[in-house]
Amino acid sequence: MICPDTPPLLAQSLADLRSARTTIRLGGQFTKDRIGGRLVGEGTPVSTRNLSRILRYRPNDLTISVESGVRWSDLQQELGRNGQMIPLDPPWSGGCTVGGVVAANQSGPRRRLFGTARDCVIGMTFATLEGKLVQAGGMVVKNVAGLDFGKLMIGSWGTLAALAIVNFKVFPIARGTRTFLFESASLAAAIECRDGVLKSVLQPLSVDLLNPEASAALGWNGFALAVQAAGAPPVLDRYQAALAGFRVIDCAVWDRIREFTPDFLARHPDGVVVSKSSTLTGVADAVRELPGPVVSRAGSGVSYGHATHDVAPNMEKPGGFEIMERIKRMMDPDALLNPGRLHGLL
Amino acid sequence: MIPEAALAETARILGPRGFLHSAHDLSLYEYDGSVDKHRPELVCFPRSTQDVVELVKLAARHGLPIVGRGAGTGLSGGAIPLAGGMMISFSRMNRILEIDLPNERAVVEPGVVNLDITLAVAAEGYFYAPDPSSQRACTIGGNVAENAGGPHTLAYGVTTNHVLGLEAVLLDGSVIEIGGKAPEVPGYDLTGLLTGSEGTMALVTKIIVRLMRRPEAVKTLLAIYDTADDAAETVAEITARAIIPVAVEMMDGMLLRLIEDSVHAGYPRDAGAVLLIELEGLTEAVEEQVEQIQQVCGLCRARELRVAKTPEERELLWKGRKNAFGAVGRATPHLYTQDGVVPRAEVPSTLRFIEKVAAEYRVQISNIFHAGDGNLHPIIMFDMREPGAMDRVRAAGEKILEHCIEVGGSITGEHGVGMEKKELMDKLFSPDSLDLIRRFKQLFDPECRLNPGKVLPTGRGCLEIRQRPDDLRY
Repeated sequence: MICPDTPPLLAQSLADLRSARTTIRLGGQFTKDRIGGRLVGEGTPVSTRNLSRILRYRPNDLTISVESGVRWSDLQQELGRNGQMIPLDPPWSGGCTVGGVVAANQSGPRRRLFGTARDCVIGMTFATLEGKLVQAGGMVVKNVAGLDFGKLMIGSWGTLAALAIVNFKVFPIARGTRTFLFESASLAAAIECRDGVLKSVLQPLSVDLLNPEASAALGWNGFALAVQAAGAPPVLDRYQAALAGFRVIDCAVWDRIREFTPDFLARHPDGVVVSKSSTLTGVADAVRELPGPVVSRAGSGVSYGHATHDVAPNMEKPGGFEIMERIKRMMDPDALLNPGRLHGLL
Repeated sequence: MIPEAALAETARILGPRGFLHSAHDLSLYEYDGSVDKHRPELVCFPRSTQDVVELVKLAARHGLPIVGRGAGTGLSGGAIPLAGGMMISFSRMNRILEIDLPNERAVVEPGVVNLDITLAVAAEGYFYAPDPSSQRACTIGGNVAENAGGPHTLAYGVTTNHVLGLEAVLLDGSVIEIGGKAPEVPGYDLTGLLTGSEGTMALVTKIIVRLMRRPEAVKTLLAIYDTADDAAETVAEITARAIIPVAVEMMDGMLLRLIEDSVHAGYPRDAGAVLLIELEGLTEAVEEQVEQIQQVCGLCRARELRVAKTPEERELLWKGRKNAFGAVGRATPHLYTQDGVVPRAEVPSTLRFIEKVAAEYRVQISNIFHAGDGNLHPIIMFDMREPGAMDRVRAAGEKILEHCIEVGGSITGEHGVGMEKKELMDKLFSPDSLDLIRRFKQLFDPECRLNPGKVLPTGRGCLEIRQRPDDLRY
């Protein structure tokens, strides 16, 4: 495995492999091999794990710049010392790297309030197959200079370039959190309950809906709607008063909800996760149709089903597909980078 | 000159009243909110995506450059047709096509005025978050092109964080629909790539935006200081204490006096600076934060703190901020607004630097900042008829932006690079980075006919447009 320890070396490695027409298996710690489509062929592994420096952290400025191989948990720990965080709560958060989270656009339950990497990455540097380092964005929270290549890299699964450095805006850790649970035998009742929360003036961190199979795994009954609030005690009391019909549960449950997919895949060697992105009104159908235990980010519209055996993903070609293909050909003309990832779409 | 045949074809597509081409009419479309100008040769007013497709094909047949235009409020020259040719004005594509509250989305045409989206959903308790100062006039299409911001983007994010999908016409006349109402679409995020591409890659004809639930409580405070340093220190302290207001706007003493001369917002004439701070959220959360802000302001030597008690009082506090540019316009024949960004901790030192630049270049500069996110708008006041004034103003502006780059910031926070700042791009980005921008531009626009002469420095953009547009005819 090639593990360059500086961004220029990463760029050089890619250029060398490209000259040799070698297929490249690009990753950080490779925690997400079982989602996002399997790699086609062997490929020479290139890992960013030795790009492990925190380059610049200014707590008073609420920004941080890190190399892509920094472990996600190490990053959050460093920020936590100053009462700060990056609000993303991705799965595999114990082992994965910053670059992996961003390249695979991973987020978690807090997505309802904080969005995704799209909303907290303020700049990056990536290495191209030509051996060049390209910058996008910068170290300030508002910046429209140049094309927003960051958006293109987020969710590209290492099929265009290799992330070397990522800059984030960071947020204060909330004074406290409280979790509320609503259980119902009926999906319709759970959805109606969710609609009530979303239409109210409450601004919860997380609004997740679990089908009975998933909720049973957490010791609950029927369809379960879990809502997480953040703030000072009077704010949390306000949520408690407003969420009549819910009961207060331990916030530690969010670790299990966040890690639901990794835990499932660890238990089922042939298992797969099937995700569906929908509108908010489409969540009910997604929860009904997805296989096995389903965990839905019901306040955002992304739902995850879990099957014990392989299910072919439904990969309809998205709008603008031809442009995507041209971008891929421009960045990686020989299709060397992570072939098969992104479900083989590009 | 537009060939007669092209005019006839335009008339066939848009009807006789669907375009302008007399010298008199064209002169109204030669400028935007920046200090540069250049005249288009033909201004078209399509009513539909199909019209845009036909126009793009027509332009291709005749080799005409194309520039899209919303309301022309942009401050970086983004809508100035540097190479002449066809201007496509989206003012007649101004329908809100769909409001979908259960899914927190609206679908709009590019000519819809920013504020009109919020007005359309306000009664139901929703709003559209990005709020550029020109929001009563500027269009969503222009906002998408420039990735516009505004005071409240401190908490809510800029345009790109609120645009979920686009329909766009490409230079070959094909129409793409990218992104969508659902949050994730397979493949690459083309919506994110096109947003902020300054009208150089595609013509956006439909936009899917996020609608947000209006918060329960809003509190607006005005903190008054003897010195700008104390105000800047307050901003740093608010950030350090993990308070996240939805807006923190700063205005310096010179600006305050100009505003008072103009709109009588009740700002003190003898102050060194004021901060306009707004908090939103649940009542309980806002109350707690107001208390904290009061403490911080006291600690940082604010001499007075006003808290708006009614919506009318809130309007009054904002009145000065929202009319600031108009107020400056009354006092000076010409003004030039910068859009630099610095890391938030660098705001106080940057203010002092701007003061030095003003003295060095003999220009008057008043300051209005989105202080919470480090986005500065120094307003340089001058009289273009005075010999040499324009040169001094440009030099002073460039000096300020170079400082922003030096301290780790950016040359534009929300206005776009356009033409005015493109020569600074190679101080901000490496040659390899600029080269990739150029190649993406080429991928979308191989003939370099879409908004040519923008974003990239001269010599790094399209090769055929090498000459510098120096005809600043005022």
